Amino acid sequence: MTDTVTLDPHRNVPGVRRPGFAQTLRAEWIKFWSVRSTVWSIVALVVLGAGLTVLVCATSADDLADGSAGEAAGSFITWGMTIAQITAIVLGSLVVTSEYGTGMIRATLTATPHHGRVLAAKALVLTGTLFVVGTVTAVLGYLGGNWFLEREGIGLALGDEGVLRSLLGSGLYMAGIGLFAAAVGLLVRHTAAALAIVLALILVIGNMVVLLPGAWGEWATKLMPGNAGGVVATPVSFNPDLLDPWVGFGVFCAEVAAVLLVGYVVFRRRDA
Amino acid sequence: MIEARGLTKRYGDRTAVDGISFTVQPGRVTGFLGPNGAGKSTTMRMLLGLDRPTAGTVTVNGRSYADFPAPLRQVGALLEARALHPGRSARDHLRWMAASNGLPVRRVDEVLDMVGLTDVAGQRVGRFSLGMGQRLGIAVALLGDPPVVVLDEPVNGLDPEGIRWVRTLTRQLATEGRTVFLSSHLMSEMALTADHLVVIGRGRILADCSMSQFIADHAASYVRVASPQRGEVADLLRAQGLDVAVHGEELHVQGLDAAAVGELVGRNGLLLHELTLVRSSLEDAFMTLTAASVEYSAREQTPAGALR
Repeated sequence: MTDTVTLDPHRNVPGVRRPGFAQTLRAEWIKFWSVRSTVWSIVALVVLGAGLTVLVCATSADDLADGSAGEAAGSFITWGMTIAQITAIVLGSLVVTSEYGTGMIRATLTATPHHGRVLAAKALVLTGTLFVVGTVTAVLGYLGGNWFLEREGIGLALGDEGVLRSLLGSGLYMAGIGLFAAAVGLLVRHTAAALAIVLALILVIGNMVVLLPGAWGEWATKLMPGNAGGVVATPVSFNPDLLDPWVGFGVFCAEVAAVLLVGYVVFRRRDA
Repeated sequence: MIEARGLTKRYGDRTAVDGISFTVQPGRVTGFLGPNGAGKSTTMRMLLGLDRPTAGTVTVNGRSYADFPAPLRQVGALLEARALHPGRSARDHLRWMAASNGLPVRRVDEVLDMVGLTDVAGQRVGRFSLGMGQRLGIAVALLGDPPVVVLDEPVNGLDPEGIRWVRTLTRQLATEGRTVFLSSHLMSEMALTADHLVVIGRGRILADCSMSQFIADHAASYVRVASPQRGEVADLLRAQGLDVAVHGEELHVQGLDAAAVGELVGRNGLLLHELTLVRSSLEDAFMTLTAASVEYSAREQTPAGALR
């Protein structure tokens, strides 16, 4: 029975003969949107990001107007994004760690046995989505929050310094922080561990390094990823000692790229 | 055709796969048999490019898995551990896989129909029974209509009807001229499905032969003879140089088939009450062959204190 059986060469199903990056991207896009955690994370990002901005503007508009708050209105107009970044971190981490938690990574790599292509497609889907959702959320927060500020006569026009930059910057920062979480996820391959590391780094350690003595504390505070990257997302930073918006964002991108590169090297070498 | 040459995988000190070489030919079902922990899944993962061999190579139709531009069109695989996200529907799982290899969406519905999951295609796979999960895994393997099909423990968790379905399917795939490589730790299942066997134990190849050769080599057989003239029959057979053992009222004769024993006894005018060819099961043969290579085995229980 081993001789003369040949498979019909025309049996193959039609389709793209040599799939490339476009097909990998399409596959990752379908994967991304076909689990509930994506939808929930994005809903949470919009609700927290826009909702908290509106809330904080509504409750502090009068104090801001009479100067008793001692802060600029520009520090509040994208304030919700500092909380919304948690959902971007969750989403970014899950995009990678859920594959390891479920064994999906093996299906992914048998379908596309090119680690770099898989990672690039994942990163593009994640950052593209987070940039759009982050920017839209910031705009919604601006529109809602500014309504309350205008009632007190301290409204911010889109043309005012840093306003437009902070709205786009919110999208950029969400994309960057999500990718950072994904890169950490690639290194630790565990959802809870990845979340703990990134949240601690951004929300806890980022605010505590200022306690380091002298120039050490000053520079550590400037360079921590959340601090360096976050400035671009607000017209006026609460902390005046941080890096300039675009300089900070550049530092932040370099940090994300470095972690991602290490993650990629480990991803390539490791058995799935 | 699948070819492994000196394939080796070490994890630290432990050698999971120890320099194995074998060839899986198209047009027949090749069974990959071994006890748990023998190295079957590791070998399959190396075949699919998931694990890097420490040494040696494994190729499919002359190429490494990672070199195929659209691997799902070349090799269809059912992986042992469920490689699925429980929150995704069966249809979505197949959709992204099809998209990744540029396969048309129509093909997703075809394979869903083929494995009988059309009605539950929209359900999240986390709710699937083990059997439904296996069917989805087989749908994944068939998605690209590949010439090479690799199935790791395909009957795990299937009910008898499902087991028969897999058996028929694998036979059909081989008849169409495909290369079918099937792993199992169940000899009984292999006996019904495989034409050729590769037996592995502790990372080494113990046997690589056709099923009939395996049966002839490893499944011991003898002719059971009962006769009122037991002594005379035994003497007659021994005089022919046959190996005769007395077990109570029965004689166990080795070296001649039942018909020849019957004729010999009849020609000499002796009476026979029973004449039966007895074959030890394939399961027994497999157990004997792999006994030394079982990684974990239950010890016979010794009553406490019995040693002293």
